[in-house]
Amino acid sequence: MSRAQIEKAHQAFREVMDAPTASFFSSCVHCGLCAEACLFYTETGDPRYTPIHKLKPLRRFWEQEFTLLGRLKKRLGLSRPVTDDELVEWRELVYNACSLCGRCSMVCPVGNDITGMIRKMREGMVASGNAPEGLIGATTRAVTIGSPMGVKLPALQAQARHVEKSTGLSVPFDREGAEYMMLMSSMEIINYPEYLEAVARIFEQAGKSWTISSEAFEATNSGIQIGSSDIARELVSRVVGAAEKLKVKTVISPECGHAYTAIRWEGPNLIGRAYPFKVKHILEVLDEFRASGLLQTEGMEKARMTFHDPCQLVRRGGVIEQPRKLLGMVAENFVEMEDHGTMNWCCGAGGGVSANEEAEALRLKAFQRKKSQLDALQVDTLVTACANCRIQLEEGLEKNHMAIPVVGLTEMLAEHLVEQGEEGSGE
Amino acid sequence: MSGGETELLQWARGPGFVLAIAVFVFGVVLRLFEILGLGRQADLSEAREKKRGSGWQTILSRSFNFSVFNPHTALNYIVGYVFHLGLFACILLLIPHIELIRGVLGFGWPGLPTPLVDAIAVVTLLAMLVKLVDRVTSPVKRLLSTWGDYLAWLLTFLPLLSGYLAYHHLLWPYPTMLALHILSAELLLALLPFTRLMHAFTLFFARWYNGEIFSRKGVAS
Amino acid sequence: MGTISSDGEFKQAVGQLSPERQRAVGALFVEHVLALSGDARIEYVIQTAAKPDAGKDELARALKEAKGATMDSYTHCGEQCNWAEQGGYFVARAAEALVTPIEQSKAGGPAWQTAMYCRMARNCEAIEQGMPEGNKEESEQYRMLNEFLGSD
Repeated sequence: MSRAQIEKAHQAFREVMDAPTASFFSSCVHCGLCAEACLFYTETGDPRYTPIHKLKPLRRFWEQEFTLLGRLKKRLGLSRPVTDDELVEWRELVYNACSLCGRCSMVCPVGNDITGMIRKMREGMVASGNAPEGLIGATTRAVTIGSPMGVKLPALQAQARHVEKSTGLSVPFDREGAEYMMLMSSMEIINYPEYLEAVARIFEQAGKSWTISSEAFEATNSGIQIGSSDIARELVSRVVGAAEKLKVKTVISPECGHAYTAIRWEGPNLIGRAYPFKVKHILEVLDEFRASGLLQTEGMEKARMTFHDPCQLVRRGGVIEQPRKLLGMVAENFVEMEDHGTMNWCCGAGGGVSANEEAEALRLKAFQRKKSQLDALQVDTLVTACANCRIQLEEGLEKNHMAIPVVGLTEMLAEHLVEQGEEGSGE
Repeated sequence: MSGGETELLQWARGPGFVLAIAVFVFGVVLRLFEILGLGRQADLSEAREKKRGSGWQTILSRSFNFSVFNPHTALNYIVGYVFHLGLFACILLLIPHIELIRGVLGFGWPGLPTPLVDAIAVVTLLAMLVKLVDRVTSPVKRLLSTWGDYLAWLLTFLPLLSGYLAYHHLLWPYPTMLALHILSAELLLALLPFTRLMHAFTLFFARWYNGEIFSRKGVAS
Repeated sequence: MGTISSDGEFKQAVGQLSPERQRAVGALFVEHVLALSGDARIEYVIQTAAKPDAGKDELARALKEAKGATMDSYTHCGEQCNWAEQGGYFVARAAEALVTPIEQSKAGGPAWQTAMYCRMARNCEAIEQGMPEGNKEESEQYRMLNEFLGSD
């Protein structure tokens, strides 16, 4: 790596430094409790995966640049600057062994938001060319094609047509003045098109107008995952532009974790202004429908089931009760994992981990934590609300020979919709 | 009592004290300025109507957060509590210390019987030894620890130990032990802002920021 | 039984079939899109499903194979999607739906679910080939169902 590149890392680190980060670094007493909250540590026993350890280069930079003592030490040659080699070595820790799940931030005794800092550290990693190959590819595709997985409009339209045929409903594109603008993640478009079918049917019943923008339908924000605010900003701007053009009241983030974090929480800060529209996760919208009596369901799932809380939705997003209230409509045998809600364990694949081939073995190891949760509970079905979690859970269950089907919550609700003129659901 | 011992004690109680306090205050102000002066960008995202939790709440609640209490961490939690509570008791509930503070600030408060504080000091010293062994033997802590952690430990251990020795008239003549105790406390004060011990102040900010970051999203952290 | 010519009729007709008959007609659907998958396990699942006397264990084994095929063929997060290969993923999902026990099947029953996934598989082919008007799998499925029901 050239000197110019490491300088870019330094510059990025400088830009993200703020009072909270400085407070966090000043307060850390190296107690190591954060490790116990992190599934990458608990499932491997590797102390390098201790969350605060993943930030060591950033901490050193902060000390050397932003504290008197640190600057003195550097001047006297008592501390080395952060080097290329260090960042190369830290790539594994920052990208393979962290899903930005936020659990460490919840347990640190001095209150450090370690997750937030890892997000910041990734800015420097990206700037200096130290992001994983898979994420770079995804991000490039997101910027140039509009989707990290190369989904172009004709593909989405083909999926939409399939949904129209099988439901008899329309999937409206570019409808100006619609109340809701639906975003879709590439994972859903490609692997779980039943999600689109489900929302079409639910919105029909609720009598709410909705649309998809042909110019900005992608929910996934690879910029957030790789840690580049510039890219994240570009991707959010597209959505904001489309939403403003179509004059919608609410933009809906689909069943995808980081998409929600990106558009709901980081977006306005990336573009430097508040939105003239609301942003909600699909589950928030569905729960509003439920509360207003717009969601009519029948029949109950009899299987013993539990909910995997997607980290970005629940712990980092605050959508905690809605999935439970919605499940209450259709599940008569719902049980919570012991660590549930805001303290549930990550599936192991968020934050770009699943897009990172180097991290595959570690990702599957991390799944062992979810496996222990499920082993303790002995359920027949696992429900979740994030396509990325879903595929990780399915893969983890399959590799561990556990025959538990995984279902998306929106899809499950749609299956129980009261149909007009047809027989009830397949139960 | 030889002249040398009295001089040391006099210096410790006089110029040493003033110097230590001055460096301490300067250091704390400098560090807080360095930290808080970095500022924080306003969050332009729409906060939840129902905010749940807050920065202030997290300042308190994080002291009672046992979400990762398990056989591996039990030691960390228990010894952490014993040590901190013991240290506060030794510093703030020992009558000679309270009188010192009364002399500086103009007010004091009731203290505990000195033999009780003495017993607490023993427990606290033991807790610190356990912590040290843990830091050296636990793979995670060993990886994380730097010389700064061991320095912080030493800076805290010395006043406790020397105070105990002084009270029991052990090791060296009382005036010497007392002088050493006072000097070690002054060293702790002076170096506190420049070591990990600064967490005593900054953790309030850290917890507050954490609580604010999460609460606006509807999560009590 | 009259000729099936709409999805409403289709869904109702397959939904009324017994589990064995649903598997039999579903097997035909999957067979029809088999070329879109390169996975040998699918053939095995089809053969098992088509057996009128297939036992619970056999079907469970077939389900496991189908799940394995699904997991080996999905497009990983962040990867460039290859729609030709993605067709294989939906064929695997169709195979999964085919041998899922009826109590665990999603709405409409195994045969309906299988048919839907087969259509998605064909959709992938259509996307890959840039065919704007979609595919004819639906009408092929009507034809297969009519033949199946007519041969009673």
